[in-house]
Amino acid sequence: MATNATLTLSSDVSGDPVDVTKSAVLTKDKSLNDLDQSTGLSRVHLRNATNKTLLLANAEGNDLASKVYIINKSEDAGLYVTITINAQTVGKLYGGDFMFFPWSQTDTASSIEVAATSWTSSTGDIPIEYVQFHEDTDFLTNA
Amino acid sequence: MATTNATINIDSAITDSALLINNATTLNLAGSTTGVNTMTSVTKTLSSENHVDLITTGSVATTHAYVYINNPSTDETEFFHIGIGNVVGSGTYDDGTLPTEEIGRLYGGDFMFFPWDVDDDINVKPSTADDMVIEFMVFS
Repeated sequence: MATNATLTLSSDVSGDPVDVTKSAVLTKDKSLNDLDQSTGLSRVHLRNATNKTLLLANAEGNDLASKVYIINKSEDAGLYVTITINAQTVGKLYGGDFMFFPWSQTDTASSIEVAATSWTSSTGDIPIEYVQFHEDTDFLTNA
Repeated sequence: MATTNATINIDSAITDSALLINNATTLNLAGSTTGVNTMTSVTKTLSSENHVDLITTGSVATTHAYVYINNPSTDETEFFHIGIGNVVGSGTYDDGTLPTEEIGRLYGGDFMFFPWDVDDDINVKPSTADDMVIEFMVFS
């Protein structure tokens, strides 16, 4: 039940083009065993400039491996959402952009929050898709 | 104009029906369709468990950047704590009000890619004092 992730970066910013391809098999904490649980791919439409919880941190998640993928599916390059973990802003995800990162859930305050910062009633909703791969053994009953 | 493209492919067989994700994006300056025009690529070897800055805000001239970090170790037990937050005082990353926030643990062989608002430094704490190599790229 392996999960594989591959990122490719190609750039001609420098005089010599750069091509980076990196693949990883998503495994459990300090282990070669595959991550074996997933939230499944979800989609939400954001229409609020205040923070909303996208993924709720679970105290059991600390010391366990977890990977999160989030993409802003807006086709407007100017529409962005702000990604925050425990009041610490990570970055702005503009239309079409994605992020993929490990998530520690160091405590229950470490939820991943998202705000449709650039949303107004005239911009239309900002669609976000996301999925979490994790190893927590009892995620739902302790959420 | 320079062009930088990022593509991600995720295939997962965790569920009975496989999940396949394929997406590509062009890395642009904040809120525009103009491509990023600056790139930094660094490889570092860290030899202690000290919590240290990896990428400082002063190294980037904009307020929007894309960051790629790779742990090339082949040892699955070696990892980095990756966090966001500025160092204060004599080396602590906790000012009592807005402590550095650990984003996640980057295990051997893992990578991460994310937008960064360049408001606070990106810091790192190795899991071991043995030599550990970390690679990163910043596009802005």
